[in-house]
Amino acid sequence: MDVDTPYKLTAVAELTGHEDRAWNVAWNPTKPLLASCSADKSIRLWTYTPTSSDDPNLSFTLHAAIPTVHTKTVRALAWSPSGTTLASASFDSNIGIWQREGEEDGGEEAAGEWDCVATVEGHETECKSVAWSASGNLLASCSRDKTVWVWEAEPDADFECMGVLMEHTQDVKCVAWHPTEDILASGSYDDTIKLYLDDPSEDWFCFATLTGHTSTVWALAWAPGGRYLASASDDCTIRIWKRVETHKWECVDVLKGHERTVYTISWGVGRPNTKEGEGTVNLGWLASAGGDGRINVWEFEDAPDADAKTPPAHKLIAKMDNAHGVYDINSIAWCPRKGYEDLLATAGDDGSARVWKVVPS
Amino acid sequence: MAFSGALTLTDLNDYITPAQACIKPVEQTNKSDAPEVPGAAATEIRIDSSGSYYEVAKDGGAASSSGVSGGKKLETAEISLNDCLACSGCITSAESVLITLQSHTEVLSFLSSNPPPSSPEHKIPVISIAPQSLASLAASLASSSSSPEPLPLEEILHRVSVFCRDTLGFEHVYDTTFARHIALLEHAQEFEERKRAAATGGVDAPRDALPMLASACPGWICYAEKAHPEMLPFISRTKSPQQIMGTLVKEWLAAKWGKRPDQIYHVTVMPCYDKKLEASRQDFFNELFATRDVDCVLTTGEFDRLMRDKAFDLSVPQLSPAPSTDVDADLLPALLTHPGSSSGSYLHTLLAHHVRTSPVPLTLTTKTPRNSDHTDYTLIDPAGAPVFRAATCYGFRNLQNVVRKVARGAGVQAGRGAAGRLARVNVRRKGKEGDAASARAYDYVEVMACPGGCVNGGGQLRRGFGRFA
Repeated sequence: MDVDTPYKLTAVAELTGHEDRAWNVAWNPTKPLLASCSADKSIRLWTYTPTSSDDPNLSFTLHAAIPTVHTKTVRALAWSPSGTTLASASFDSNIGIWQREGEEDGGEEAAGEWDCVATVEGHETECKSVAWSASGNLLASCSRDKTVWVWEAEPDADFECMGVLMEHTQDVKCVAWHPTEDILASGSYDDTIKLYLDDPSEDWFCFATLTGHTSTVWALAWAPGGRYLASASDDCTIRIWKRVETHKWECVDVLKGHERTVYTISWGVGRPNTKEGEGTVNLGWLASAGGDGRINVWEFEDAPDADAKTPPAHKLIAKMDNAHGVYDINSIAWCPRKGYEDLLATAGDDGSARVWKVVPS
Repeated sequence: MAFSGALTLTDLNDYITPAQACIKPVEQTNKSDAPEVPGAAATEIRIDSSGSYYEVAKDGGAASSSGVSGGKKLETAEISLNDCLACSGCITSAESVLITLQSHTEVLSFLSSNPPPSSPEHKIPVISIAPQSLASLAASLASSSSSPEPLPLEEILHRVSVFCRDTLGFEHVYDTTFARHIALLEHAQEFEERKRAAATGGVDAPRDALPMLASACPGWICYAEKAHPEMLPFISRTKSPQQIMGTLVKEWLAAKWGKRPDQIYHVTVMPCYDKKLEASRQDFFNELFATRDVDCVLTTGEFDRLMRDKAFDLSVPQLSPAPSTDVDADLLPALLTHPGSSSGSYLHTLLAHHVRTSPVPLTLTTKTPRNSDHTDYTLIDPAGAPVFRAATCYGFRNLQNVVRKVARGAGVQAGRGAAGRLARVNVRRKGKEGDAASARAYDYVEVMACPGGCVNGGGQLRRGFGRFA
């Protein structure tokens, strides 16, 4: 470590078994489960000791390896907020909806196999990303066919198409829902970010286009409070967008810290801010990773006197080079569960998923 | 790990190209005359100065054995419009081909090169205009003039007829409402046939499946054929009004005029670009006379341009009678109205049909869950049981939901490949809930690809900034 950072990342687990590159990792928000997916068309679910991340015995074991019935790469995963349903986005253009048999009747113990209870079809080509809204009522997906679709989850694992948004001029790489409101963001190979809202009397529509990145927007992450949006790009930067009016976001900062494409970012709540007493507002931790194999963790806070356009203060608090050896890192995610907020998972081109813990150095 | 640190390419591709390679294979009509030599050298393709293709042996050795210029001449691959339409690879380029093949300049060039009526080569030019196109012209006229009240369609048809006859030289001008009338009768008949087949357990005959889905919208048909072939058994086999008009003109009227189908040139004016695709389908090609039922389709917008190019002012009343159309009125009734939707009234015709033929009085309930482009209609008998469940469903997004609902209810696999297998597992689970009839969400759906239906078709004039902008 060349820079002195107040924290460091320690390896907790290396989860192997995928036979091709691992594309995505997703933490279940309510249960001790971590999911990973791969170009080998499978999903692997890992369970971990359900105490806290401070337990020295924290360990991960394989819970299930689902071959899936996708005919191509499984590119992305998303857990519903309730933690009962997993959505998988595949290059075969479909979305798989997975639930555990019997879970709703008999609880954890009675639960059996993970079943594909529905597929959501509509995209013409590779589906790149999938995301549940905060309420769990809406599912968004995006594809190389340049479209973003909004689906409403209905009882019985049925989905109704609420909107087909044809705003981007190129491949759409990612979708992300605002943490509290039904605002959807998408990032694309056309270098832009689009924000969408539902007009109750009409259809979903794009109300803002955020420009600034000079290359593909690979990933999006909303800050826990929803006042900021972070975007990761092939231009090697991360941009921070601030909500300056109800329906207006502006770029307030550009973070540099990667030498190659930033493929993935995740914005977690972090650990309670020790300086809270000084009147600053803790904005949590932003983790980023990408083609240079490096993981960066930034701490964000708002000054007490911050006005509408003041950028949040940020500090690089931890860094890890070659986290997956020489391989690209495709996905990074903070564990959303209470007591585990300092756990990070990554997925890399080496086919492994890895778990990291942020500890004071 | 199994792979090296070197760059590996998988099926990820960031570059947007046509979604598929062209699927049209070159048909090998004459198999190689010489028997294939096992282990023969690989061949390569050469192109000579005239642009012909030759297959030659790579080492040049076999060159002397066959062909003129030292190789075997290869068939030239020919890609027809229909091949293009059968492929989802490049629909946009296919559409641009169509727009040049069926344009108002094409119509003008035909009319100017048409030999005089005395010549045996003369073709009778006939034009048929959709009521939605007349409505669009009326609306556009009203929005650009001082009088906000749109003219009645009869008046618009009269003025347009005068223009088509006097300025362009069409011998007959019709509207397509009589053809629509026939389409609606046929549609009701087909529904009855399907219902009977379903009731008598003939459901295993996939041609007679319920629900029946409307087939008049070529955009929806094109999409279903490409993306949802599992929907095809449900799609009505009734011809669209345009194609019924094509049959009427080329078969029935032609016979009345003592002409063969290929002695007629038939143009239609439609609210929709995709009607061009419909007219060029192989189904509507008369092999015997090598002629199409509809030779050329113009959109309302293209027809409007034609009028402007010829400096014809639609806002000026035309006092001269239109004798040819008056005569034709004896043959075909003009501007029949069909209460219901502006997309052809298919659903309302079936509702009326059920009410008329039911032995007990039926009550209609309607529900519009989200927006006016999707409305559910249910006819209920006095005991409260649903007799006929139907919906109008316009626009791409509602169309997605129809496809999902119909696939679910009928237990067919929606979509392609792996997804289909999943769906079937799912349907099996749902199957416990009841028999086929109650699992079916609808008996009939009026499906149209455009939001707002045909009156808002892609070929219509845009109000406010259309005509004189």
